Amino acid sequence: MRHFKKSHLLIGVGLVWIAFSRIFQGDQTLELATSDNTAFTTSVGDVAASIRGNRTKSAAFIYFFNPIRAAINGFVEIIRSIISVPSGNSIIPVIGWFGVVAIVAFAVYATSKLRTALLAVSLLLACGALGMWQFTMDTLAMTLASVLLSLLFGIPLGIWAGLSDRVLKILTPFLDLAQILPTLVYLAPLALFFLIGTASATIATMVYSIPIAIRITAHAIRNLNQSPIEAALSMGSTPKQTLTKVQLPMAKQMIILGVNQTVMAALSFVVIAALIGAPGLGKPVVDALIIRNVGQGFVAGFAVVFVAILLDRSTSAAAKAQEGFIPMTSQQIQRGRIKRGLAGLAAIAAIFASRSVLSLAVWPGSINIAQQVEDVTNHVTKWVTTNLYIFTVGFKDFISNWVLNPIETLLAFSPWFVTLSAIVLIAAVIGGIRVAMLATGLLALIVLSGLWHEAMITLTQTIVATLLTMSIGIALGIWVGRSVRAERILRPFLDAGQTLPAFVYLIPMLGLFGPTRFTAIATGIVYSIPVVVKIVSEGIRAVPVAMIEAATVAGSTVRQIITKVQLPAAKKAILLATNQGMIFVLAVVVIGGFVGSGGLGYLVILGGSKPDLQGKGLVAGFAILLLGVTIDRIAQASARRT
Amino acid sequence: MVDGKSSAGAGGSLASNPPAVSVRGLWKVYGPNPLSIVGSPDAKLSRSELRAKTGCTAAVSDVSFDVAPGEVFVVMGLSGSGKSTLIRCLTRLVEPTAGEIFLDGEDISKATPQRLRELRRQHFSMVFQHFGLLPHRKVIDNIAYPLEINGMKKTERHARANEVIELVGLHGYAHAFPEQLSGGMQQRVGLARALAVDPQVLFLDEPFSALDPLIRRDMQQEIIRLHRELGKTMVFITHDLSEAVKVGDRIAIMRDGAVVQIGTPEELVANPIDDYVANFVRDIAKSHVLTLRYLARPAQPGDDIDGPELAANIIIRDAAEIILQTHKPVRVIENGKVLGIVSSEDVLRLISGVA
Amino acid sequence: MIFSQRRRIATASIIAAGALVLAGCSSSVNDSAEGASAASECGTWAVAMHAWNGYTASAQVVAEVAKANGCTITQTTLEEAGVTYDAMEAGTIDLIIEDWGGGRWKEWVDRGSVVEVGDNGNIGLIGMYVPPWMAAKYPDILDSANLNKYADMFKTSDSGGKGAWYEGPPGYTTIGEKMISANKLNYKAISTGSEAALVDVLTKAEANKTPALAYFYTPGTLFIKIPGLEQSRVKFPANDWSDAAKASGLTDYPETALKKLASKKLMDSNSVFATIVKNFNWTNADQNSVSADIEGGMKPAEAANKWIAANPDKVKAWLGN
Ligand SMILES: Nc1ncnc2c1ncn2[C@@H]1O[C@H](COP(=O)(O)OP(=O)(O)OP(=O)(O)O)[C@@H](O)[C@H]1O
Ligand SMILES: [Mg+2]
Repeated sequence: MRHFKKSHLLIGVGLVWIAFSRIFQGDQTLELATSDNTAFTTSVGDVAASIRGNRTKSAAFIYFFNPIRAAINGFVEIIRSIISVPSGNSIIPVIGWFGVVAIVAFAVYATSKLRTALLAVSLLLACGALGMWQFTMDTLAMTLASVLLSLLFGIPLGIWAGLSDRVLKILTPFLDLAQILPTLVYLAPLALFFLIGTASATIATMVYSIPIAIRITAHAIRNLNQSPIEAALSMGSTPKQTLTKVQLPMAKQMIILGVNQTVMAALSFVVIAALIGAPGLGKPVVDALIIRNVGQGFVAGFAVVFVAILLDRSTSAAAKAQEGFIPMTSQQIQRGRIKRGLAGLAAIAAIFASRSVLSLAVWPGSINIAQQVEDVTNHVTKWVTTNLYIFTVGFKDFISNWVLNPIETLLAFSPWFVTLSAIVLIAAVIGGIRVAMLATGLLALIVLSGLWHEAMITLTQTIVATLLTMSIGIALGIWVGRSVRAERILRPFLDAGQTLPAFVYLIPMLGLFGPTRFTAIATGIVYSIPVVVKIVSEGIRAVPVAMIEAATVAGSTVRQIITKVQLPAAKKAILLATNQGMIFVLAVVVIGGFVGSGGLGYLVILGGSKPDLQGKGLVAGFAILLLGVTIDRIAQASARRT
Repeated sequence: MVDGKSSAGAGGSLASNPPAVSVRGLWKVYGPNPLSIVGSPDAKLSRSELRAKTGCTAAVSDVSFDVAPGEVFVVMGLSGSGKSTLIRCLTRLVEPTAGEIFLDGEDISKATPQRLRELRRQHFSMVFQHFGLLPHRKVIDNIAYPLEINGMKKTERHARANEVIELVGLHGYAHAFPEQLSGGMQQRVGLARALAVDPQVLFLDEPFSALDPLIRRDMQQEIIRLHRELGKTMVFITHDLSEAVKVGDRIAIMRDGAVVQIGTPEELVANPIDDYVANFVRDIAKSHVLTLRYLARPAQPGDDIDGPELAANIIIRDAAEIILQTHKPVRVIENGKVLGIVSSEDVLRLISGVA
Repeated sequence: MIFSQRRRIATASIIAAGALVLAGCSSSVNDSAEGASAASECGTWAVAMHAWNGYTASAQVVAEVAKANGCTITQTTLEEAGVTYDAMEAGTIDLIIEDWGGGRWKEWVDRGSVVEVGDNGNIGLIGMYVPPWMAAKYPDILDSANLNKYADMFKTSDSGGKGAWYEGPPGYTTIGEKMISANKLNYKAISTGSEAALVDVLTKAEANKTPALAYFYTPGTLFIKIPGLEQSRVKFPANDWSDAAKASGLTDYPETALKKLASKKLMDSNSVFATIVKNFNWTNADQNSVSADIEGGMKPAEAANKWIAANPDKVKAWLGN
């Protein structure tokens, strides 16, 4: 009954909105030419300029930002000089490629098992064969450095938040915000204080990955089985003893899982951080994006995928090794020790070899299939873009004309107050009065920022991409949720999709759709489908078997079971998936500024380049944040209310 | 058992020895503003009414009792009646909402965290309904844990742990991890851990619930031995009436957080305070807990009154053989006076449950 | 398990640490002769790589000349202007070989982190181009006054009912929106994101005989690839610099002498590389010949070395001897 009313209300709001939009088309849209500033963006720009001006003078820089930058730079450079860049007068890093392969093999072998170690080795060799050895090493070094620093802060904070409700309460808003904030938005403000280079990139990566470490650690501590802890307390353990002897050991596996997540987050960010000077695989990816060499982008993209799989598998294998507590016989322990000892010796020998034999120190140029991969990809792309051009462009034009443009007209080309009221009303209907008030506040701030029109352009793209994502994602989700075979087929793609940086997807999309809004949308779709499919299929699978059996016995068709039993029962999961999908899509749509999608993301990128637009870029970043929170709150409220 | 049981009397205490555990007006209320419930008229409401009205659950409400040194005090009650909460309050794993708890005369509800730890480490220990074993430690290190946090050296604590491992019959499992053991074995690890520090007071929350009957009997014997030989004081929760009768000196029956009645098994069977208690003790074989005093009746015309004499505090089961073998009713004597007579028919009627 | 696990990790880290210590001791590959002494004279320098072909040509040639003279050169791709100036301030970049923006680096120069080294000899001219087939078919389209007449032809699904005006990428010097409003055109500036996208737009338009109006610039090799493109630049009224009010409405791109910017650290260093940077100077034709090779599929380093081999005199002049 309630539901029925709700949808009618929504349709009502929509119709009124369209009517007003028709009448006042083009009035008060708050459009602002790209190169123009408002009073507000100008003053933010002035603040930014004065911060820049103070870099060499002010105490904050001399005693705080600059030393931090120097320290982090130093730390990263030490790691790089070991595996990646020549140090001092030498022409090779401390350890040559062969030594690095041996160390990785040994480390993975020692923490999990031989098969994972072999996988790790072949992935590393593949990166080398793609001609990406040094970039790969830089990426590993950057990831390692930022993960170490992230864990250094993240795990203690996570433990603290796990133990203290107060700390958790204080941290939660920041953790939530960090989940919503698109990656692109971090870069500019950090670059303002830490300039362009490894330090900024490392700090940005930390800012991105620390929340994950904190969240999972706190979760691990909080969700422990309480009875052993209670028992330990009953025996008179001090809080410290309880933590170190009981809680941490019990939470260890989950925390290592958190390390895995932190590593993956850091990796995906390190790729994007190439925009602010991070060394590594992000460089060729960005290069390829800018000079639009799809083949080169693929070569680098493959290497990113390999590194992602390498890090994912080896860290999750290490987590798995913690599972269960099956004791080994002393003989087994002995044998294991001998094996590891031998492996260790072999690794040391390999390191020596990598320092004395040139072909083991520097990746041999003769082993390089990059050109072939590049050529093949370029050929395929060329064939696709010339022969399927009609289809891809036709599809793009169809969506643009029939979905994108009408929604854009409604959102961005109605008077701002009409759009704002409509969104607030929708928020009120689906989320209740408190969410509506919050939305009013957030949207009003966007209006005040002067970037309302651009924000609505970005919102349009987000909505369209989410609509498409959901229609594909729900279908796939149902399929995967209902069929074990589908799950087995799609699982690797879903897993891989979740570990890949969004940036990598832009390249093939650019080849297909050219520099348009649709490229950003298509990338957003590809990037967010895995998470949507995952959540939806889990929701479908969680529907009790008894319910489905009852419906089957009652004589329902498969279609009826899906539409009348599984989908309604999985409604919450679907709403949650929509929320996640939107946040993922927003993050990518914003990056779309690189490929001609316009909107807030373009302004952020522009702000990085053009000093006179830096203020506007920073404000655009803030507007993205406001937009993200608005979307998230409305979507969450609607999920909560069902 | 022929001489019956020493009794501290319901709710009372022995004047000479200060009680080992003494509880006064203990409350534990879960929910918003718990303190406002204590002593208010709402406290008289039933649990569901209270919940509906205030959103609070009174897990323990206004409980008082004393446990004498060396006594085994059993707590029984339906599921959810507040037994575990009560025993947790005694060790302050759960902070009581109101009330006082004395251990050997010391008010532990006011103990500082340090003092509390000291008491927990040396004075009492606890066995948990859900075992509470540390999954990442081997059996031996689980058992040695309380010794470890007391700062005992590794070889010493392992030696001691091995002793208790033998005691609970887990020989050969010292190096297994808890999840490799059956529920019953895990429970014994929990028991061994509690015994490792050799505490004066033991709090046992359904310590034998997961054991098979044979092991359970062994463990009960062990508890009885500890009680008899070493004079340990115990608060013992169980759902098993025969176990309660077997190991317990006195039994407290709880309902909805409150103690309904406290007494020796005999008192509970002979004089249940209400139907709830009567129902609860219905399945006790009366002949196992009642003494001849319960059966003694005035002689009626036609009764032989020159049968053998028996003391009033002999348990019926133990006297049954004599009574059934003599053809005359026995005379029940207390303090040199004849209380009445008991015939074989009386005994048979009781055993067959007609009485 | 927990113990053995811990011990495993411990052994692993001990071995790893040991390996590192050992690794620090000696290496026979390290002191590879030739590089060592020369490198210490010139040093290690970072060249910013911007994303257009002409830039790649210039930067690569400078880099190759420097390498041949014992310098270690790293190349880092960055967006133009602000980002790169910040990188120079941070010490991660030492050279921009071709900057188009008139003086937007002033603030960094004032702070002493960037040095304006002078012209690099190339003359840049940005403009709006139509494919040559259009210039042939509609000769009057090259006069901006007639653009509105043809606006309908340029509509796309992304241009909001106006003519599509393909603007340069974010980092580039762009005044499209100002030109549109100053010349009162019924067009919408659409950001393209990359040089390659612009190349794509114009190439496809010429090949498929479809309309397009796009940002491009000399020096650039696209003019070689699309004959007649250079003549298909739309002529806008020149900026009237005499009147401040009018000058704020920019109507067209002026010709610009392209600049070299370097870090102060480099220019103060006395390194050979500083000399090369100071003296580097070549013509649009020079750059075009290298970028044509790169566009033809040659690796940048190869193309650069080919030009260096063919022009020993010019290179010699840069070295100052
Ligand atoms: N942390 C808590 N928060 C709220 N209510 C609780 C909490 N712990 C216990 N309760 C409530 O207190 C009441 C008593 O629980 P308790 O565990 O003491 O029962 P019990 O007698 O031990 O039951 P069982 O025989 O099943 O072990 C129950 O109604 C329970 O729901
Ligand atoms: Mg219980």
